Amino acid sequence: MFRYRLGYPAAALAALLCLAAAACSAPGSSSSSVAGGGSTPSGPIKIAVVDAQSGSASDLGQFEYRGVKLAVDQANAAGGVDGRKITLSLFDDQGDPTVGTELARKIASQGDIAMLGTAESAVTLAMAPILASEHIPNITSGQSTKLLELNSPYLFLNGPTGLTYDSTLAKYLVQKKGYKKIALLTNNDSYGAGEHDAFLSALKTLGITPVADKVVPQDQTNMTPALNAIRGANPQVLFIGAEEAQSGLTVKQARALGLNAVIAEGAPAGTPLYLSTAGTANAEGTIVSSPYLGNDVSDASKKFAADYTEAYGSAPELHGAKAYDGAQVMIAALKACHACTGLALANAIRAVHYDGLLGSFSYNKQGVGIFATSIGIIRNGKIEPVS
Amino acid sequence: MQSFFQTLVSGLSFGAVYALVALGFSLVYRTMGLVNFAHGAVLMIGAYVASTFYLSARLPFAVAVPAAMTVTGVVGLLIERVLRPLENKDFDLMLIGTIGAGTVLEAAAIVIWTSAGRGVPSPVRTAPLTVGGVRIPPYDLLVIGITAVAMVALALFLQRTKPGTAMQAVAMDHEAATAAGIHVGRSNAIAFGIGAGLAALAGALAGPMLYVSPTMGDSLGIQGFAAAVLGGFGSIPGAIAGGLGIGVIGAFAAQSFQGYSDLVTFVVFTVLVMIRPTGIFGEKTVNRA
Repeated sequence: MFRYRLGYPAAALAALLCLAAAACSAPGSSSSSVAGGGSTPSGPIKIAVVDAQSGSASDLGQFEYRGVKLAVDQANAAGGVDGRKITLSLFDDQGDPTVGTELARKIASQGDIAMLGTAESAVTLAMAPILASEHIPNITSGQSTKLLELNSPYLFLNGPTGLTYDSTLAKYLVQKKGYKKIALLTNNDSYGAGEHDAFLSALKTLGITPVADKVVPQDQTNMTPALNAIRGANPQVLFIGAEEAQSGLTVKQARALGLNAVIAEGAPAGTPLYLSTAGTANAEGTIVSSPYLGNDVSDASKKFAADYTEAYGSAPELHGAKAYDGAQVMIAALKACHACTGLALANAIRAVHYDGLLGSFSYNKQGVGIFATSIGIIRNGKIEPVS
Repeated sequence: MQSFFQTLVSGLSFGAVYALVALGFSLVYRTMGLVNFAHGAVLMIGAYVASTFYLSARLPFAVAVPAAMTVTGVVGLLIERVLRPLENKDFDLMLIGTIGAGTVLEAAAIVIWTSAGRGVPSPVRTAPLTVGGVRIPPYDLLVIGITAVAMVALALFLQRTKPGTAMQAVAMDHEAATAAGIHVGRSNAIAFGIGAGLAALAGALAGPMLYVSPTMGDSLGIQGFAAAVLGGFGSIPGAIAGGLGIGVIGAFAAQSFQGYSDLVTFVVFTVLVMIRPTGIFGEKTVNRA
């Protein structure tokens, strides 16, 4: 009985001591990382790469990691940053925002000074507040405008926002090509919902109301019922807001249904995955809004493609190119501030001016560095810039 | 009316794939009383092997598919052999073991083929048939036809062949079957192997309709499992009815409920199962009491 009575007060005291310890120190914080006064002058520079390595988004994660690794390998081969090598720690977020938040805490505790990734806006949105509280700058491949609403000084995009992709596309379709009957088919994940809202907003600005607007679940494989309803509206253009494989399936099923509208889409349509899923004949004439129209549009993209192919045995695409540019921006910032950390590194990223594969990077207060995309059209399985 | 029949046709096409998946689930459950949670992953392996034979080795599709079924059938035999020691010791552990086997297969697929998926062109290049304004891709008709043949072939195997009859005997009473000289382990291995072959057939046929990736078995496995439950777990005709049912319900749900179609499909499924818990044709399995 005596031991039983002593147990509860001891447990309560232990709990109080734990709470006090937690309140007194924020995990991972230190004056040097907040002020960014400078990093330890020796040892490797640790950067985390977070992307899906399993699950439905794992192909994007693989492209991204390869792009980052190529940039880092090239930088290390050239001497690193102030003689220090960059080491990458790869984490699998499984495309799951909850897993992402766990990884954000893990990154902070393991001493990574910056993060590259993720490819999914939903995961990046979940991780951003934790990374900001840990003063870890993050360059992401996400493109949702919701990322900008966080107003985080530590968050940067390695490409244009979804609004840029879609407003450029809408202007081309309506003002340049004169299309008026436009239908939408988007999925309901964070990317598809973002595309839906951005493209709809862009059409409204141009005075166009869609003739059909259908939403499918993100893992839907049978789009025929939705496409059949769209076919009844007889659109001139079908805008698709979905990931690469689902977009390709949509186009394949649309053509099988006799729906011959022009297909228009953002970045996913500019990837080999879209082409292989849709089929070359079905993808013919697809109008693509993308900042990276192909591996042979410039000398820089040709060199990048050659280096990537030599390293990995397959040609790169948009996601690899975005991740490569993001890594190059990070490396440039590290060199400029002599491997600083925290807010100093974030400010150094914002000060970077870099001519990359996607265009000229110059970051604004919201962390966006690129403000334009290009329009291409798929001909014989290749994307050509429109004149 | 055109819209109704177009939706019905698309539902039957996908339903045929679900039916093949359900056949594999039902065969193993019928003979062993085991729900094989590796079935979706085995389907994925079959899809990858078939697409490798078809795209890389450039075999005709009609050769690539049976070759993939053979290779994947061996994978099924290996899974059964690894898990066999658990069967008479702790059956629940054997069931959990199938979950582990599925995880191993998915990781192995990423190592072998990387996580980048692949599109598979349709082996039937002719234009869709048009009947009363309804467009029917010829490949979809092929999938439905092969599913029907697979069902008949399986039923004949179970009823007219010695190994099939032995499997039925093991399912009824494995102790009596042993006493009659039937090797229960070998019989179960055949069930696993055929189940894996059916999964591979489903995966190989689904490849040109969908997209081959390491996670393709997840959603197809769930749809096939639901189909098997709806039709009556362990019932061969039930697997067909359940598969086609899930496919058609899903198609009409997609037509009317768009982004909520998955939710509606499984609400309808839940209601049907609550009305008839053993499925349309009733549950058929080994007595493990």
